[in-house]
Amino acid sequence: MATLVQVENLRKEFGNVRALDGVSFRVDAGEWIAIMGPSGSGKTTLINILGGLDTPTAGQAVVDGTDVARLDEAGLTRFRAEKIGFIFQQFHLVPYLTAVENVMLAQYFHSTTDEKEAQQSLERVGLGDRIEHLPSQLSGGEQQRVAVARALINHPKLILADEPTGNLDEANEEIVLSLLRELHNEGHTILMVTHAPSIGRLADRRIEFAHGHLVQAAVASLKPELA
Amino acid sequence: MFWRLVFQLLRGSRGRLGVAILAIVSGAAVISALLNLDLGVQNKLTQEFRTLGANIVISPASGAPAQISGAEVPSLMPERDVLAALQQLPSAQVSAAAPYLYIVARAQNIRVVVAGTWPDQAQKLDATWKLEGNWVRSREDQSQCLVGRNVARRMQLALGNPLELHYMDRSAQCRVAGIVDAGGSEDNQVFASLSAVQSLANLPGQIGVAQLSVTGTAQIVADYAARLAAALPQYQVRPIRQVTEAEGALLGRIRLLIVSMVLLILILTALCVLGTMAALAMERRKDVGLMKSLGGSISRIVGIFLAEVGVLGAVGGLLGTILGAALAYWMGLRVFGTAISPRWEVFPATIALMIVVTLAGALPLRMLGNVKPAEILRGE
Repeated sequence: MATLVQVENLRKEFGNVRALDGVSFRVDAGEWIAIMGPSGSGKTTLINILGGLDTPTAGQAVVDGTDVARLDEAGLTRFRAEKIGFIFQQFHLVPYLTAVENVMLAQYFHSTTDEKEAQQSLERVGLGDRIEHLPSQLSGGEQQRVAVARALINHPKLILADEPTGNLDEANEEIVLSLLRELHNEGHTILMVTHAPSIGRLADRRIEFAHGHLVQAAVASLKPELA
Repeated sequence: MFWRLVFQLLRGSRGRLGVAILAIVSGAAVISALLNLDLGVQNKLTQEFRTLGANIVISPASGAPAQISGAEVPSLMPERDVLAALQQLPSAQVSAAAPYLYIVARAQNIRVVVAGTWPDQAQKLDATWKLEGNWVRSREDQSQCLVGRNVARRMQLALGNPLELHYMDRSAQCRVAGIVDAGGSEDNQVFASLSAVQSLANLPGQIGVAQLSVTGTAQIVADYAARLAAALPQYQVRPIRQVTEAEGALLGRIRLLIVSMVLLILILTALCVLGTMAALAMERRKDVGLMKSLGGSISRIVGIFLAEVGVLGAVGGLLGTILGAALAYWMGLRVFGTAISPRWEVFPATIALMIVVTLAGALPLRMLGNVKPAEILRGE
């Protein structure tokens, strides 16, 4: 399989704190990777750099042939719009936009909006009857499913999910995880940050971090029976 | 999607934006009222000043008095010359014009100044005169005349009494239609039709002076006088400076006051919008961080917010302008006793001013450019 993400000797410092210290790994297209580790180990920093939300202090982070470290502000903006789909722990929906408008917002910043396509995207995540609802009128699980629909709408090369089930109850966690499984089965490349080993085991591989270092990589997934 | 976003932004922040729109509507209302007053007051004031009498006088060039039938009379000029010159110029600016021929006649063996004029125009020129009785409505009516209150008292004249005027070996008779109380030299004069006095003095077609009341600012009056002077080079055409200059000075002071007030209100409105926008920019940091993470460029994101502010300025400006027109109407009635109609040019001017001021007040939105999405999404 072709390499989609290649990280080489990546370093990120916040003042005197080294959040990432010489991290290197590769992700092939279509892989589902779980990034694990305790709080403050550098997982979210890695996701932010790979998603073009932050820039590294040193090293390379190449996504689909683009070295994120070399992009300027405008380049990072285009990179995020065209290649990345984000799913956040806090959902991060715009509170005064309806579900369909939140999805269309990503379309708007990417190219042109297509309301029908946005509606289909919401139907796909089981929210066909919640299209005109505001985030405040949706449950946590429903909000996260809107975020998934938004992340998928521009057909990104890489889906970055930062603790996507961290704020959900068990039932909603299962809904979101099955959505991620579906995406993986369709060939999407997913990098997912999680604390939970049970969720991490759903991925093809786990990459474990501690104090900014990669401590364990390329661990074969145990693939639980529900996969 | 752009306008859908703008609309949803407006709807989503209606509480906070309500404060800003209140400031914009109030500012626009006062500015619109002041601008309507400024334009309306010019018309009203010039009308008020016109009641003070003529503001342009045409007279023969100064020189030796004419000798007519052995008697010395002031220099004269043909009535038709003046009328021809007036016809060449736009009549819309002239609210009243009257020729005068003054002679000193005798009545009841008392010497009295008799002014031959067009009584219908004299009424418009001298609107402040108090009159007991009636004006002489037709300039052709030789049978009636007006007498000053001092003349009436000395000659014990009452309304309807006949008055016989003698000039050299000629005489004319008229009936007293009204008694004039002008509070000036007019109280010692008799006013008769121009044709009657020309016949009495045997000066057919001659006048001594013509008075005009021209509507407009001091500059308009001066311009009109200059054009009239060019058309009548042989005569003296003079604007009456006390009236035109007083009018010009008053209008200038009113305009200065209004412009100062408008500037002050614009600054206050901008400050109020600035405060609201600074708070709003802080509130919107999270949304901006999210929009950036979705690939929104800062120019595109700030463009949405500026359009929102522009709509706010336009809507606030429109509502305020309508309110201001009503305010100007009410103030016109209270201050000038007549309604000041809304001027259409005030609408686009006020709305444009409010949009500019609101956009200027939206400067804090610039700080959104510094938002780092990673920090915002981390919750910092």
